[in-house]
Amino acid sequence: MRSHVSVLRLPRGPDPNGRGFDPNSPRFIALCPTTISASSETGTDSVQIREEQRARSALRESFLRTLIAMTNKQVQFHMHERVKVEAKFGASDIDVLNVQVSELHTPIGVQKEALLRCQDVISYSFDL
Amino acid sequence: METWRQLKPLEWWKYVNKEVKVTAHDKQQHHGWVFTVDPVSASIVLVTFQEKGGTSTVRVVTGHAVQEVEVLQEGNEETAGRLRVIFTPPGAQALGPEEVRRRKESLRLWLEKNRIPVEEKGETLCVANVLTVSAPYGAEDCSSSNEIILARVQSLVESNPDSTPDQPANS
Repeated sequence: MRSHVSVLRLPRGPDPNGRGFDPNSPRFIALCPTTISASSETGTDSVQIREEQRARSALRESFLRTLIAMTNKQVQFHMHERVKVEAKFGASDIDVLNVQVSELHTPIGVQKEALLRCQDVISYSFDL
Repeated sequence: METWRQLKPLEWWKYVNKEVKVTAHDKQQHHGWVFTVDPVSASIVLVTFQEKGGTSTVRVVTGHAVQEVEVLQEGNEETAGRLRVIFTPPGAQALGPEEVRRRKESLRLWLEKNRIPVEEKGETLCVANVLTVSAPYGAEDCSSSNEIILARVQSLVESNPDSTPDQPANS
């Protein structure tokens, strides 16, 4: 096993005034769409809203299962500029903005633990 | 398409169980069967099956990077079933109603044998009025607000000589 490189830069800690998943926090507003796509209340009947919500939950549940299947597996991350790195997937946050990985193989060495920003990632793949 | 992220969940749903070609920001194209689209980040989960039962590859294209999605093929019951099976966690088996009933009976008898008061309330077993066990009556299915009782009952459930350990499914 290759020896690990020392930590280059710690990720910025949580905002001291923040409350984590606060939709009004600067982090959320800057990085997340301020509204999740949804039909507006007026002009659509409740049946369609129900159908839409059902679809949304089913889609989200399947996506969460994908994340579960990915835990502790070797994942290849394709980033911008055709950079490809491999790491062991640990966890992601609720909006899938950041991904925690271990044993990140980078061109300059192996990072023991790292946080990847999802905006930098174009796609990621793993084998089942 | 810039509008991929603005689609509504019902429109994303239309892509599920279809074979598509996704063009991403870096002009790379990815083929695969759509398993799901995350409604929060608009990321597309694509599955490429391997022939002859090899390992499948799952690729997730992040929502912000999606440029174009082209449908190549419609899926059918078979592909939907294959997609579902891939993501079922190992060890999860669908238990028939007879098996569930048998497990409930077995657990109830075991608890009574250990002098623990237990009541049947429909589908759940109510233990000493502070803990409930729901189907399929394993150690993970116990819930209580009292952690000491929870720990005790869980170890009891696990030590039930009648319980057969779950066979992990081949993943």
